[in-house]
Amino acid sequence: MEMKRMTEFRVGRGHDGPARIGEYIIGEEVFQTPLLTGPDSIRKSILQIRYMGRDLTLPNPGIVAIPFNMTPDEFSNVALGDSDPILLPSLVSFASLDNPASTLLLRYQLEMVEKSKGTIDPSRLILRVPENIDVEDFKSIIDEFHTKGIRSAAFVFDGLLGSTDLKSITLRSTLPASWLTFALGKIHPSIIPLLYYTGFDIIDTGYAYQAAASGVRLWSNDSEQIESGKLPRYCSCLACKIIDEKYSSEHIQALHNHNLNIYSSILSESLHAMKSGRLRWLVESMTHVSPNHAALLRQVDKQTYPFIEEFTPTTGADVVPLIGPESYNSPAVRRYREYLESRYTPPTGKQIVLLLPCSAKKPYSDSKSHRRFLETIGSALGRAAERVAQAILTSPLGVVPRELERVFPAANYDIPVTGDWDSEETELGAQALITYLNKFDANCTVVAHVSGGYLGIVKGAESQVSQSIIYTTPESSASSWDSRQVLHETLTDLKGVLDLKGSQPKQLEEIVRSTADFQFGLGAGELLVPENAKLGGKPYRQIVCRIEKEQICSFIASSGSISLTLSGAKLLAPLNRYWARLDATQVKGGSIFAVGISEADSEIRPGDEVIVLNNDDEVIAVGKSEMSGREMCELNRGRAISIRHKLEV
Amino acid sequence: MMVDVLEEMQTLVKNASSKSRGVSLVKRRAKNPNKPAAAWTTQARIGTEIGTALSIVLSTEGCAHARSSEGGCTMCSYLLDGTSMNPSSDELFNQFMEAMKMLENASSPLSVKIYTSGSFLDKEEIPDEARNLILTEISNDERIKEVVLESRPEYVLDPILEEVRSLLGNRSIELAMGLESSSDLIRSLCVNKNFDFAAFKESVDLGKKHDIGMRAYILLKPPFLTERDALLDAQKTISDAINAGATTVSLNPVNVQSNTLVEFLWKKQRYRPPWLWSVVEVLQYAHKAAKGAARVVCDPAAAGKKRGTHNCGRCDTSIVNAIRQFSLTQDVQAFDGLQCECRNLWNHTLTHEDVSFLVHR
Repeated sequence: MEMKRMTEFRVGRGHDGPARIGEYIIGEEVFQTPLLTGPDSIRKSILQIRYMGRDLTLPNPGIVAIPFNMTPDEFSNVALGDSDPILLPSLVSFASLDNPASTLLLRYQLEMVEKSKGTIDPSRLILRVPENIDVEDFKSIIDEFHTKGIRSAAFVFDGLLGSTDLKSITLRSTLPASWLTFALGKIHPSIIPLLYYTGFDIIDTGYAYQAAASGVRLWSNDSEQIESGKLPRYCSCLACKIIDEKYSSEHIQALHNHNLNIYSSILSESLHAMKSGRLRWLVESMTHVSPNHAALLRQVDKQTYPFIEEFTPTTGADVVPLIGPESYNSPAVRRYREYLESRYTPPTGKQIVLLLPCSAKKPYSDSKSHRRFLETIGSALGRAAERVAQAILTSPLGVVPRELERVFPAANYDIPVTGDWDSEETELGAQALITYLNKFDANCTVVAHVSGGYLGIVKGAESQVSQSIIYTTPESSASSWDSRQVLHETLTDLKGVLDLKGSQPKQLEEIVRSTADFQFGLGAGELLVPENAKLGGKPYRQIVCRIEKEQICSFIASSGSISLTLSGAKLLAPLNRYWARLDATQVKGGSIFAVGISEADSEIRPGDEVIVLNNDDEVIAVGKSEMSGREMCELNRGRAISIRHKLEV
Repeated sequence: MMVDVLEEMQTLVKNASSKSRGVSLVKRRAKNPNKPAAAWTTQARIGTEIGTALSIVLSTEGCAHARSSEGGCTMCSYLLDGTSMNPSSDELFNQFMEAMKMLENASSPLSVKIYTSGSFLDKEEIPDEARNLILTEISNDERIKEVVLESRPEYVLDPILEEVRSLLGNRSIELAMGLESSSDLIRSLCVNKNFDFAAFKESVDLGKKHDIGMRAYILLKPPFLTERDALLDAQKTISDAINAGATTVSLNPVNVQSNTLVEFLWKKQRYRPPWLWSVVEVLQYAHKAAKGAARVVCDPAAAGKKRGTHNCGRCDTSIVNAIRQFSLTQDVQAFDGLQCECRNLWNHTLTHEDVSFLVHR
């Protein structure tokens, strides 16, 4: 009796966008993903992909393509003594016909799945997704494959970085989180970071040979035609030692080896970038390879934002470089702007909104310029400074309220500072400012202590806000001594005119409440910091919130986030957000795995503070999420939450 | 049911073929009914000698299959060579005589091949009277040693063959039939041709009864197949055709004709005509499979051009010449020594297109 052979994909720990690591288990063998694949591969590190009966079958496992019109008998022969994954049959180019051509190809594959029942474990079957299928059509049929046990899909890339490639990425974004995905076709190394970023686990290297056979050496950002009489680029790889410009099979082999080295190298670079939270930066840096690369990323950001955002951690690298227009809508940046809009409420009692320029050093308060601004505010207003809401204008985040200056990525982003703003940045800034100011009373006075590009933002917003705006120093640098004198005078005047009264310092409360709202949603701040809460500590280190000596939560300045205690979690639970339900009465050990989670808030992102509930809705633990809420529900493996506190029974 | 899905796919191909015709059918001009659509002569192997072959395409209303809502074959627009008015028997005969002028000074042996963009044996297309006039004319020309008549299997009927044989005497006769593929699935789904391999075999057998041979036209690379799918299918078809009793196999690498489904896909970058290397590969295989019992010929249309079978552009001419040489001499050594850098690309296409499903251009 044949042993039942199957394959399995296990998602590992870590995220930077949809990119992930995992294990692809084929029979007895385990392949680490991300992984390269290709035809006729002799490298052990590249998973072979071959056509049944047509290509040389190597003893090691490989992906197998099968003929379109295979009968059930032939089909079951494939299954014998074998655990290779099988690409379901399809017809090349057929999807170019009118609807419902693509759907028919999928229905045909569904029937092949049905036919193979009992002979081939469905985990071995790979859905071949027809190119350019309508996204809604695809969504409506994918559940049927999932129900039948299919857990992997292959997508086609034509390498033009146009509509077909964008479509394949968009289609991929609709799959359940547990599926393994292949990118097949013409894939230049320069596009690998983006493919990995958008969640492709296994990537085709077929183009490496095609280029080599045409005398082309591939680089991570270029293609080089090797011609006699033209000095080739220097390369340190072993394969290139024998490149001699003369056409021969050895020459092609050398080019091929070099090209494969480049694929391995860029994939490794992508993997390392993912682990250090710099994958998005790598993807953005590759947009300069060609205008098509840039266009594709912009389209991906626009069309698949919910998908990419869902897997983008809410904590990240210490420094987040945001260099060009590709960063304006990177998910961490766009999410910041959206959270500010939907989750931020200004502290009460503010009569002045002071707009300030950003600083290169983060958090802003640590910079020389902002220390001086704070001195000026303090000396002009004394304890009435509590009446001033401070907001920092910046690109591409828009507006950062002083209370939120330590949240991710406000405390981490790094931009090239020239003082010049492009129109998109100015527009994004103006929109953010309008949103921000509209949260304030119309009677507030706005003091714009900015000049240059910042001034453009304020002017762009002015007609759409209800407050009146005083410009202190439109002509010269905001941080100069003269400008600060003007600010001092303006604030002093306003203190008199508005009859500003001093009040108890509320800085700690404002930071914790705003951060709690930003992190958990509106209302969290009031739940965690009620009137009777006592706050202690320093904004630049840690702020601890207690109610009747019981610790509720603490604000950690280095991460700009709130950590909950079990008591804090109980207070927050009624908000009904950021919870995961464990199908057990208590938490054992230091982590919770996805398999144990029956339900979770779909708002959860990797890196979030999460409340763990049991089936009776009791808080049994708090911890940090390692994956998105959807993954907690859809995955059967992998660490979901690292526990910080748990109920001891 | 899987059959249903395949049927729906088939319908889709039919509709797409029909759609690709566009206005081309309606816009067909009425041509001079006394002139053939085309006629040309080539050197050809006739029996054991080399002589002159005249190919005639009679201008008729053209293939009924292509004119109908069935859409016609996915790669074929030959019916556009025809005319919108069905010529009379006299006019058809005049067309034939017009073409025959090309053989006025030719010496024996001669071969005459009659095509119609449809079926010469279809009475609706070529009335009995016209057929008789033409065949009688041929029988009066002693130089003509070989006659090839094009037809679909449904028109290959015992009484007609009997009549053809009796009119042409002891000349070598072949029916020319577009088998395309011996796979019914590929023929119906990829070519949109609606007869089956069994009908082809019946025609071969019926022909044998009257000592009439079968020239099977075999398609290389209909749409929806990868280069290697296509290559393997052509090889299998050749074996099947020879085993069924075909006396000649003629390999037709697909060329991109106007107003066809193939052209639609080609314009979308989703079709590439077959590589010349594939043609060579199939011919070498065919030569071996034929074991001298059947002729293997190939006269690729638009060869070396982007709409026809082509390689990289550098080696195309030498390979096309070798193909022509082989067809004439049946000597497989014509292919010896062909070499080009692009052969590696072709090899890569065979393996990579097969698994990736990206059309390699």
